[in-house]
Amino acid sequence: MGFFTEYLADPSTRATLIDQSLEHVTLTAVPVLSATVIGLLLGILAHRVPTVRQPILSVVSTFLTIPSLALFALLIPIVGIGATPAIVALTMYALLPIVRNTVSGLASVDRAVVESAKGMGMTATTRLLRIELPNAWPVMLAGVRVATLLTIGIAAIAALVGGPGLGQEIFSGIRRIPAAGSLEALLGGTLFIVALALLFDLLYLAIGRLTIPRGIRD
Amino acid sequence: MTDRANADTAVSPAAAEGTGSSVMIDLIELTKRFPGTQDPAVDRLTLQIPRGEIVVFVGPSGCGKTTSLKMINRIIEPTSGSIVIDGEDVTTIDPNRLRRRIGYVIQQIGLFPHVTIEENVATVPKLLGWDRDRIHARVDELLDVVGLDPEIYRQRYPKELSGGQRQRVGVARALAADPPVLLMDEPFGAIDPITRTRLQNEFLRLQAELQKTIAFVTHDIDEAIKMGDRIAILREHSHIAQFATPEEILTQPANEFVEDFVGTGATLKRLKLSRVREVDYTTDALTGRIDEPREVLRRRLHESEWTAILLLDADGRPQRWLRGPDFLHDRPVTQLGLPARAFVEGHATLSDALEEMLLGSAGVAIVVDNRGSYLGILDIDDIITSIQTMRDADAEFHRAAKLVDPLDEVAE
Repeated sequence: MGFFTEYLADPSTRATLIDQSLEHVTLTAVPVLSATVIGLLLGILAHRVPTVRQPILSVVSTFLTIPSLALFALLIPIVGIGATPAIVALTMYALLPIVRNTVSGLASVDRAVVESAKGMGMTATTRLLRIELPNAWPVMLAGVRVATLLTIGIAAIAALVGGPGLGQEIFSGIRRIPAAGSLEALLGGTLFIVALALLFDLLYLAIGRLTIPRGIRD
Repeated sequence: MTDRANADTAVSPAAAEGTGSSVMIDLIELTKRFPGTQDPAVDRLTLQIPRGEIVVFVGPSGCGKTTSLKMINRIIEPTSGSIVIDGEDVTTIDPNRLRRRIGYVIQQIGLFPHVTIEENVATVPKLLGWDRDRIHARVDELLDVVGLDPEIYRQRYPKELSGGQRQRVGVARALAADPPVLLMDEPFGAIDPITRTRLQNEFLRLQAELQKTIAFVTHDIDEAIKMGDRIAILREHSHIAQFATPEEILTQPANEFVEDFVGTGATLKRLKLSRVREVDYTTDALTGRIDEPREVLRRRLHESEWTAILLLDADGRPQRWLRGPDFLHDRPVTQLGLPARAFVEGHATLSDALEEMLLGSAGVAIVVDNRGSYLGILDIDDIITSIQTMRDADAEFHRAAKLVDPLDEVAE
């Protein structure tokens, strides 16, 4: 591994990797946040209106089957190159785990709990906000976490359509194979992505601790 | 529900408001037809529930009793017919406004798992916009009423409670805004038999104070007989087979369906109708204070015709049974003999008392007041005498109806 420590020892490489990591965080966070807002609304809609449940789930599942490379490229004529096609595509990918976990989270709330809330005269909105969402939250949060991990990985492809992030370092390595230093770049980009994924995981652990009500924590 | 229930709860009988008519809930031609089904689940149910009474809907599964109950607070919207509560037609008013005036207890209880017991009980008062101090005071009062120490349980979560405790919280939550009407759907169904009996007794004692108007669903005829002021025995489509007091149902079943449903062993069931306080139990049993000198106690027992002496503590609570030979042992009085067991209160049914006797294997139950102080002794013979009296009274009817109970044949 001597060659790799030399690669990391270079101050300019380190600066590039750190810059690209920060870009990568943004490239992950923006789509995940958008997908959370959209996915939550779609999930609630799917829960409330049984007839649209299957169509919604089918559409967001289809998104995930489109090969990422193709989707990024297909979006270029619509939104141009750079970060935008990446953000749009990643938002589409992040939807499935969030929508599905919102639907199954809401469905997993004990029927007796919902019925007793109704029987006490809570309106549908109050019931959703005060009873259903808080109880579905652990499952929904798990969906957001999976969406985040998925996005961190796929975000590397964004570099191909001129997007930011650690994908740049990886592709600069791939392009130069078998030149000297190409393997290091490939490995460096990948390791930083894995490290980011671990940091995000810790973040979700903390969010879970802070937001899951004590009464339903394991 | 424990003795604390007798503390003057501010839970005033809600009967003071409204029209003052004796009918609290009036169901008129209530019908429910579920989409895609031929026959109505509930077909033109017409029933009046008197103010302050418990009316039990009982019947085989699938008879529509739960659907009938759930139409009263419109968890299930009726297809036709009307619901009048306290003189007001509530069939088409805002269902949430209606439900805030009706306490609702279901078998699975449905406590909100993500909030504390306090917040669970405070649900309806919060919806009604009570101020924080009033809610806080009310929650403490109610937890006290159902026998849960507020200091201990207020901040707990439902998962930290036993099934019986959750059921108590469920009742407290339903009573929170002092609704005049309670709907209870198999409220004690999912609880072990011993706890169930205790909760039933506590609930009856509570109801004696609160005087709520209660519609109560069960599939268990024994529970119906025990809990109901009146019983509606329902058959398919919620057709009423008989609507009468438990006594009438047992002694004058209206038809074969009721007879079959009530089943055999009507005599045993009637033990559930008689209360300990109605029986002539012994009040002059031999007692002593646990702090009296053992020689005094020994002599008192020796000079009496009793075979045992019951020792009471300073508050009159029974502690130990001592028989003559027990005094031969050289131990403090507090360790002699057997611990006193099988306590029943005056409102307990003879069936409860019999069960206590059998469990305590003593052949006697000790009658105590609500603070646990000694009132008297109920002997198994007292129960047999009581059964005999009931049977004599019934024999005429049974014979006339050609319904001679095998037990009666043997007795003759």
